[in-house]
Amino acid sequence: MAPSGLRRANDPPLLILVSLADGPKHGHALAKDIEDFAGVRLGPGALYGAITRLVERGLIEPLGGDDRRRPYRITPPGSAALAGALADLRRVTSAGLARLGLDPA
Amino acid sequence: MKPANLLRWYPSAWRERYGEELLALIQDTLDEGRPTWRLRLGMVRGGLRERVHQAGQAGITAVKRASSTWLLAVATGLILAGLPWNLKASLPPSRAWQGAAALDALAGVIAFTGAAVLASGLVAAPAFIAFLREGGWPKIRRRVVWAAGATVAAGGGLAGLGLAQRSMTSAQLSHSWAYFIGDVATALALVAAFGLWTSVAAATAKHLKLAPRARAAQLLLAAVTVTAVLTMVTANTIWLAAVQSSLPWLVVGVANLALVGVVTPRMIGRAVRKGRRMRSATSRGRYSPSAPRSAG
Repeated sequence: MAPSGLRRANDPPLLILVSLADGPKHGHALAKDIEDFAGVRLGPGALYGAITRLVERGLIEPLGGDDRRRPYRITPPGSAALAGALADLRRVTSAGLARLGLDPA
Repeated sequence: MKPANLLRWYPSAWRERYGEELLALIQDTLDEGRPTWRLRLGMVRGGLRERVHQAGQAGITAVKRASSTWLLAVATGLILAGLPWNLKASLPPSRAWQGAAALDALAGVIAFTGAAVLASGLVAAPAFIAFLREGGWPKIRRRVVWAAGATVAAGGGLAGLGLAQRSMTSAQLSHSWAYFIGDVATALALVAAFGLWTSVAAATAKHLKLAPRARAAQLLLAAVTVTAVLTMVTANTIWLAAVQSSLPWLVVGVANLALVGVVTPRMIGRAVRKGRRMRSATSRGRYSPSAPRSAG
């Protein structure tokens, strides 16, 4: 496992970091956004399990405001971890596409 | 079932921190509908996973604390307490080389451990002096007093045992209850002294502002010291097996050797990687020397 704990493209922590990359969101907005861009429906239990781990690792942090719909934002270490994970995924994707002859570049 | 009831699967500390947020998310998701079986199962799974995670974290913390202080101290104390007896034991000439080899290994590892501890102290010395200058002595005074007391008791015990050995024959010693009780009490005092000094070191380390390079060195030295102590246990066990011609002790010794071979390279590797991460974080400007933490 990578030091950031991010492993696969459909990992809830990775999806959450991608969703927060363009700005803070609360739980419901996160779930809807992830469903829109990844086609993955994260249940409340899975979503908050991943949020808990990301907060523990310092990759995201809560913002003040409404306690019941608290928004979260990505931290600088979170951005770095996301960039590293996406670079890994891009390398694998490029290799796979090239070997299938789908991406001559 | 009310959505709030679904939270009961989660640990109370987690509910206190995230419970309201999760309830709000469930309410937004359901939009006045009833919780589906998929959602209920997800909550059960999430709650149980959280409980397992918390139990695991608590266990890891307890094992780390124990291994970093008391286990190391007790192992070292027991080895040193058993050493005089081992040194007195004699072997038949045909197997003398086995005992000599184990004793040489033990002496070598003791010297190596001493050097590692000394190096660790030297690395931390500037930060320790700064800690004392900033008025840190009261924070460790009580622990130091206890450790010094145990050291004096152990020293007194060793001196008394030495006097008894000079004034009594081996036969008298082996039948003397007073000598036996003194021997056991001295061994316990040695173990206590090592444990208490280790506790002083651990408590002091929490207050030291070490530079990243020094912290990385400390991590490596700690892993090397634990490796050395485990090697001492192994050498001592094999020595005992040779002295007593004991197959069970030999099995324990070989098992220890396998354990040292498997566990310690990983431990040292982890310390090296952690040190590297610290140094690279420093070079990227994301690391600053740790602030003093509260005493444990």
